[in-house]
Amino acid sequence: MNSILKKIFGTLTEKPWEANQAAIDSKHTGQTFNISNQMSVVIIIFGISSVLFSLIFTGYLYSLPPGQDTTFILKTNMLWINTLVLILVTYFFDKIRRDFNNNLTSNIKKNLIIVGALSYLFLILQLILWYQLMIDGNYVSTNTYFSSFYFFTALHGIHLLGGLFFWGKVTSKIFKLEERDYKKEERSITALSVYWLFLFIVWFVFFTIMFVYNDAVLDWCRSLIS
Amino acid sequence: MSDEIENKSGYQTQSSETMNEYSGAAVGDVDYVRPAEIPEQDLYHGHTFLTKWVFCQDAKVIGVQYFLTAVFTGIVGLILSWLMRLQLGFPELAGFMTAEHYYQFVTMHGMIMVVYFLTALFLGGFGNYLIPLMVGARDMVFPYVNMLSFWMFFVAVAVLMASFFVPGGPTGSGWTLYPPQAILDGTPGSGAGILLMLISLSLFVIGFTMGGLNYLITILQARTRGMTLMRMPLTVWGIFTATVLAMLAFPALLVSSIMMTLDKVLGTSFFMPTILKAGEVLEYGGGSPILFQHLFWFFGHPEVYIVALPAFGIVSDLISVHARKNIFGYRMMVWAIVGIGALSFFVWAHHMYVSGMNPWFGFFFASTTLIIAVPTAMKVYNWILTLWRGNIRINTVMLWCLGFIVTFVNGGITGIFLGNVSVDVPLSDTYFVVAHFHMVMGIAPLMVIMGAVYHWFPLVAGRMLHEGLGKWHFWITFLGAYSIYFPMHYLGFIGVPRRYFEMYDSPYMTSGVGLNEFISLAAFIVGAAQFILIYNIIKTLKTGKPAGKNPWKANSLEWHTSTVPPEHGNFGERLPVVHRWAYDYSVPGAKEDFMPQTTPPSEVSNTEVEKT
Repeated sequence: MNSILKKIFGTLTEKPWEANQAAIDSKHTGQTFNISNQMSVVIIIFGISSVLFSLIFTGYLYSLPPGQDTTFILKTNMLWINTLVLILVTYFFDKIRRDFNNNLTSNIKKNLIIVGALSYLFLILQLILWYQLMIDGNYVSTNTYFSSFYFFTALHGIHLLGGLFFWGKVTSKIFKLEERDYKKEERSITALSVYWLFLFIVWFVFFTIMFVYNDAVLDWCRSLIS
Repeated sequence: MSDEIENKSGYQTQSSETMNEYSGAAVGDVDYVRPAEIPEQDLYHGHTFLTKWVFCQDAKVIGVQYFLTAVFTGIVGLILSWLMRLQLGFPELAGFMTAEHYYQFVTMHGMIMVVYFLTALFLGGFGNYLIPLMVGARDMVFPYVNMLSFWMFFVAVAVLMASFFVPGGPTGSGWTLYPPQAILDGTPGSGAGILLMLISLSLFVIGFTMGGLNYLITILQARTRGMTLMRMPLTVWGIFTATVLAMLAFPALLVSSIMMTLDKVLGTSFFMPTILKAGEVLEYGGGSPILFQHLFWFFGHPEVYIVALPAFGIVSDLISVHARKNIFGYRMMVWAIVGIGALSFFVWAHHMYVSGMNPWFGFFFASTTLIIAVPTAMKVYNWILTLWRGNIRINTVMLWCLGFIVTFVNGGITGIFLGNVSVDVPLSDTYFVVAHFHMVMGIAPLMVIMGAVYHWFPLVAGRMLHEGLGKWHFWITFLGAYSIYFPMHYLGFIGVPRRYFEMYDSPYMTSGVGLNEFISLAAFIVGAAQFILIYNIIKTLKTGKPAGKNPWKANSLEWHTSTVPPEHGNFGERLPVVHRWAYDYSVPGAKEDFMPQTTPPSEVSNTEVEKT
């Protein structure tokens, strides 16, 4: 981060019209950051999605009226299992990235399949969770709490589906390659692993906010103070 | 300051010394450039009519597609404004128009002009055409995604236009689409109209995100050798910063559009409070309409700069080229663009002073609003100082640039009025506000667009637009625009409210009698004058004077392509190598009054560099 800031502010102080600076500038390769285009895409999507989800969270905190049934999140239910699945996906994707770094390519194929399978499992479990909620009479229009819950989880799911589309493309390429050529796809897979990590971070923030910011937890906090 | 000339011993000695220090290149090789490290881009060249002109992956063709689609929406917006002015100035001639129609026209005019015309034209049109050319790239980094971006925009426009033809017509809730009224019965177009608007906006944002990814990554990662960020023309800086703004602000529009769609379709209450209608409580409850206002303006205010920053960048380049002067305070111009971009996220609630906000909140936003005037004013000073002692060519392009500066200062000053809570509250919802924002983000950017069209048309079409027609076009537009908006300020001062279908005979309007007729007449003339440009373009395409290469003697890379107009791939077999910034005009000691960015130091060893 520090180097990025240095780069940005250092760049903005350059005087391109001066001969000394011109001599330095003429040796520039034309690339600002030493990262792949795929990673650039992921970082930019990271930025856009952060704003998107931050606005949703802020909107949720802004508009949640008192007295809504927010105890749902505290119950033991599939939400916790889904969180665990997402942690596992993130772990396996990171493992693939580390394997690439250490030139251990033998498990890449297997771990990519695990990542995909767990991601689809997460989506299926989410749908089951929605079904459970609806059986309990908690629909998208029941109150703003559940509206936000459905809205957020749907957007998160769409993000995951987008990731799975590119996972599918990369995995099919890997299956067509000899093991010694896996490195060709390293940039794409590294970018995807960062994308999955981001999906987990968003989920974690959402889960924390939904968990902490509800009447039951707030009442419990108040009881501690009193 | 611009007078101070720094005498250097020339690039040769300086760069040779630096060369030893910074690279292993041979001593004395002043033109040394690093070998290419980025592999050549693999381009898909279309072979059929469909792949060459419709589903084309060439950013230049995509830019023209964006441009034409945006102009089409702009003409629709223009016709809607004529209809509105007909009703306001000559209601006896507008018997076919009901109040519902009027509100629908107001709404569609506003949304079309801000989002589908100005934003799409600056970022989609100029962005696509100019970015790869100006940074020395063959194309955008993801050409296929870039093509998808345009077609997503096209579908968004089609969906928006479809709303004119659904039962109930397009939404008439005002361009801000405030809930709850936007989706409740009683508001024109509260059925399919508002839904199509929200879907169209969502598609627009998704499409723009695809394009924006391309703009940012191409600018950051795919420039040609020697093209540092601080050697980029200000046009690219303006488009780059505006794209960053759009990428951060459009999610607010997307979120609010989706949430309101859910409120309408699924009965959620994100923005809907408990509502009593004809004695009955509706099923909505618990939501906040003010939340929508925050989300909308979190998008809406940066949107002003999404339009303005590319205009700032473009006009800087046009002024520099046509005044034959380097841009005054290049670094300050870059800082101002970046600074304005950052500050634009901290001013949104100045659009909400009358929403019942906490006074301290208003105080904060008034302060940030006034602060943003500082970098903006810096830019104005720098444009004027660039003109100062320049070898100014009073051609059509320069006229539009001068018109922009005057108009932008006018609109900016009234913005300072409205930024203050105590002044804004009485002027809120009057014609003063309408006049302000039309001057600052309607007419001013339009003048830059026109200047840019006259400037870059020779590159796009290879022919020069007719100067005489261009000057007629300018003067009618310039004088006409002031005839429209100056009286409108006055109407606002005397309290005439905006969004009124009928300007009835009110006692407080006596001093404004006749002004509406006058404004409407001026609006008809200004609108009609825009067809001079269309005629000029058609005539030029048929019989215009060939432009040749670099007719304006400009430095930036887009004028130094292998062919004019540039072909797919832009620069022939070899990408250009950049040796200098884009503003070496009238450099003492140089043979000509311009030095293209590709000119190596050895060719101009006896020149002096001007301080900026």
